[in-house]
Amino acid sequence: MMDTYILAVESSCDETSVSIVKNGCVEIATVVLSQMDIHASFGGVVPEVASRHHIENITMVFEEVFKKANMTINDIDAIAVTYGPGLIGSLLIGVQAAKTLAYLHNIPLVPVHHIAGHIYANNLVEPLKFPLIALVVSGGHTDLIYMKDNYSFERIGGTLDDAVGECYDKAARVMGLQYPGGPRVDKLASEGEDTYKLPVPLDDDSYNFSFSGLKSAVINLAHNEEQRGNEINVTNLATSFQNRVVEILTKKTMRALKEYNVDNLIVAGGVAANKGLRSKLDELCKQNNIHLCVPPIKYCTDNAAMIGAAGYYAYKIGRRASIDLNAKANDKLN
Amino acid sequence: MINLFIDTSSSRIVVALTKNSQLINIINEVNGHDLSSRALPLIDKLFKMSNTEPSAIDRIYVVNGPGSFTGIRIGVTIAKMMAWTLNKEIVTISELELLATTDFDTDYIIPWIDARRKAVFAGVYDKNGNVVEDKYIKIQDLQESLENNKTYTFVSYDDVDEIKDSIKPEIDVLKVIERHQRDKSLNPHSVNPNYLKMTEAEENLQKRESNV
Repeated sequence: MMDTYILAVESSCDETSVSIVKNGCVEIATVVLSQMDIHASFGGVVPEVASRHHIENITMVFEEVFKKANMTINDIDAIAVTYGPGLIGSLLIGVQAAKTLAYLHNIPLVPVHHIAGHIYANNLVEPLKFPLIALVVSGGHTDLIYMKDNYSFERIGGTLDDAVGECYDKAARVMGLQYPGGPRVDKLASEGEDTYKLPVPLDDDSYNFSFSGLKSAVINLAHNEEQRGNEINVTNLATSFQNRVVEILTKKTMRALKEYNVDNLIVAGGVAANKGLRSKLDELCKQNNIHLCVPPIKYCTDNAAMIGAAGYYAYKIGRRASIDLNAKANDKLN
Repeated sequence: MINLFIDTSSSRIVVALTKNSQLINIINEVNGHDLSSRALPLIDKLFKMSNTEPSAIDRIYVVNGPGSFTGIRIGVTIAKMMAWTLNKEIVTISELELLATTDFDTDYIIPWIDARRKAVFAGVYDKNGNVVEDKYIKIQDLQESLENNKTYTFVSYDDVDEIKDSIKPEIDVLKVIERHQRDKSLNPHSVNPNYLKMTEAEENLQKRESNV
């Protein structure tokens, strides 16, 4: 069989990334230019600043990936691009760049949903086994997705308000931790004790999540303790907070696996890097004979290799976009 | 010498192909919220109606601002990607200089773009080109900077209460290309928008840092 090379582009938030992926599973070369340090000084991602950096870097990132892969545009079978969801100004740069290349070199253009990319990051580790449940957790997403087969997505639940990563960053700010706070909370959580009374968020029969209540509880707790002149034990607060988050995420995920009669679980997205979540899922999956796949950290955060992996399957089933493709800040995964 | 001209930074979207100081074709349409969808198809239409392949062009002239931040980025992304991947020459042009190609019979012409909060992006031009550099300026400061014994024409697609008697642009793409035909071609990596204004977040950060 002929090999298929996908050139993939991802610019949905604050990473400008281009990758070349072979057959949806082999990463040939990837370049990721992160703006994390730039946005850290603002305490979070500033959309206009992100767009400005994307356009400054875009051609260099393409050039670098071809150099790294020792390939040219003539070796490429299709161009896959994240069209959404994400920050519109950021998405537009990647979409416009991908469209321009596809148009000028007459190469098929394949639109890829950002979440499909996160899920297919796992395909770069080992072939996805179906049916599966995917738990997608990041700064912008918290979704439970059932997949019967390649590129078939059924969202069975998701957050009703804040994404889990967003909740982490906000809780971290209250704890006085620097942006991005998620990894810092995770680190502290492993060192403390669960001493603070915080609510378990949306513990019901659905597969939906709600993190705004937990976020408010952390903010109120910090405020009340300050009023009383008590100092917060940040380490213990981090542990208490993380325990509630991990408890509800794992509880609903394990129930979904059981109810859908599925024994493959994949975890994706930036919060998949969370050690507390990883070790709890690891433990539960071992107990229940579930095959668990969690990508290495470099595939958890935004990168174009995952878009190239998803893009390969989208390409194979005939997904195409024309040069009037637009970026979409919000769009349903399908 | 075949030139491609791209301007997506204002309320008009203008793309043109020129050859040896003559227009092959020009498309000049109202710009809208669907710019991101429309820009590349319009460029494709321009090439098709001119029976020209994109690979046949020699040089790209792209307007890189000031204007709508998103609008500028769409044209500049297309232009720099094109110059990079087809290995073509590329130069940038100011939107204000383009507006200043409108005919006028005063001493100077002042092209301006509404920047909101009683401010504009503006420059001062005469028949030969730029006299006072393009900048972000409060309308009151701009008006106070004018010389009493000189005459000025204001030109803009925009309307604001503070600037009366401003005329609408009749841009001359050939004129602006001619003015820049000897400009040294830029490295596509270094072709970027000229916003003339920091983001609000950066301004606030700078204020905070200078207060420390």
